[in-house]
Amino acid sequence: MTFQDLMPLLPLLVLSATIVTVMLVTAFKRNHRLIFSLTLLGLVLSIVALPFASHGLPRSVTPLLVVDQFAIFYMGLVLATSFVVVLLSFNYLEKVEGNKEEYYLLTLLATLGAVVLVISNHFISFFLGLETLSISLYALIAYTRFERHRVEAAIKYLVLAAAASSFLLFGMSLAYLVFGTMQFDQMASLGGLSTVDLGLLTIGLAMLMVGIGFKLALVPFHMWAPDVYQGAPAPVTAFVATVSKGGIFALLIRLFANIPLTVGSNLWNVFALIAILSMVGGNVLAVIQTNVKRILAYSSIAHFGYLLVAFLAVNSLSTSSMTFYLVAYIITSLIAFGVIAVLSDPKKEFEELDDYRGLFRQHRGAAIFMVVALLSLTGLPPTGGLVGKIFLASAGVQSSLWLLLAALAIGSVIGLFYYLRVAITIFRSPEGETPPWSAPPISRFANATLFVLSIGLVVLGIIPNPLMQLIQSMVAHLGG
Amino acid sequence: MTSIPLNQVLILAAMLFTVGLVGLLVRRNVFFMLMSIEVMLNSAGLAFVVAGARWGQPDGQVMFLFIITMAAAEVSIGLALILRLYQQFKTLDVDAASELQG
Repeated sequence: MTFQDLMPLLPLLVLSATIVTVMLVTAFKRNHRLIFSLTLLGLVLSIVALPFASHGLPRSVTPLLVVDQFAIFYMGLVLATSFVVVLLSFNYLEKVEGNKEEYYLLTLLATLGAVVLVISNHFISFFLGLETLSISLYALIAYTRFERHRVEAAIKYLVLAAAASSFLLFGMSLAYLVFGTMQFDQMASLGGLSTVDLGLLTIGLAMLMVGIGFKLALVPFHMWAPDVYQGAPAPVTAFVATVSKGGIFALLIRLFANIPLTVGSNLWNVFALIAILSMVGGNVLAVIQTNVKRILAYSSIAHFGYLLVAFLAVNSLSTSSMTFYLVAYIITSLIAFGVIAVLSDPKKEFEELDDYRGLFRQHRGAAIFMVVALLSLTGLPPTGGLVGKIFLASAGVQSSLWLLLAALAIGSVIGLFYYLRVAITIFRSPEGETPPWSAPPISRFANATLFVLSIGLVVLGIIPNPLMQLIQSMVAHLGG
Repeated sequence: MTSIPLNQVLILAAMLFTVGLVGLLVRRNVFFMLMSIEVMLNSAGLAFVVAGARWGQPDGQVMFLFIITMAAAEVSIGLALILRLYQQFKTLDVDAASELQG
């Protein structure tokens, strides 16, 4: 471990230093504004540290971690997303009775876990990153623990996530048993394995997939998603939907850049089945929901199904199109959950479809932001969601995955129905004279954040090329 | 010293894992569910030790230590949540705490 080894880890070190600082400051002086500012400062500094970390890449730092262009891009994505989530949490946290400061500590810890996932090149770092993320999330989901549903959601998540972790670990142990290494980039030698080893490896990878599928909430491992999305405080839901899933997806891409996944193999077929079930199942189940957070939960199940289409294409377009779609999806989710978060307070979440009646009259801005997000989720112009979906589909077309593409199309059509239902509800006038609930004023701060995100999403939809070129220059070399 | 054959230990690990999984699915008391998860995690740890032994590397045992550490962290949060669950619902039955549906 030399100084040259430490430089690529600079963002990670800054983030860890922030965590320690926030913890110590909280111990001496509880001040919501101070801790909030420190958290934002720490996240900004870690983003600023990224360019300093990107000299002489790719670079392995110990066998556990590898920092390459792909990692730099995803670190930036995770850190920036976390920054926005923290920004949008402030007003919600102001209304929390009791301690507010630990929320930021836990969010930073979870972000650290996601960053470790993004740069991990070894089962141990994978596992440690994943658990740092998950264990912080258990506490975050139950954060305003005196409200109803929080504890229930947290216990459901804990039990299922821990079970998924054991599947993941057992899968890892079988893969280690076969390969004799836990380093991703040394696992490529599939040739020359005996039949027994090959069988063990298939079981192992299948169990790994149960674990990863659970974290990404893919059908049939999706049971937790709607309950946790609904039960968790709105800013935490935003975090689960974006940072947590984004980090794990980055890891999935890296893992299978090393373990070859050939079209038509057993493992590939299982993945394809999961993708189809997620696309169709997620969308169908969303139709019958009347709670917007649950709708978004099922929608996220479907969207990760869409992402798998490009993942399964295994061609030169896969990684860049998945990354683009993920960026667009994260921005979209941040807007949607951001609107929910700024309109909610810990005692009454702004989540029932009926609450949204007349939103356009009360909060023109928030209503428009929400509609932009819904358009992007549906995949309608002029948003990044449409362009992303085209990229995904073109990756699928190049590998002629017609069945998967058909599922994508069917899913999108069903999606049209329930996204637009929410959008229409926003424009309808409330029943009776008085609206069902008086929405709180939105701070200028949160409004500006949501405004910038919405503009970004629309710009992404109109001129996607700059981002796509950036992505192609940064993530294309992965595993090559 | 005679070494224990690889496949026997693997079978033991698989059996432990199954026991844990069945326990998790069958028991409705949240304490027993946490304990079943412990069994599953430890069976994975056992499999890691076997895998390490096959290659003569310490990595498997290192991983086992990490698993124990993580299980401890998880249980500490789990127990805190169970306390809240009991105060809120006056029961440890997870089926009682099932209001989120739709």
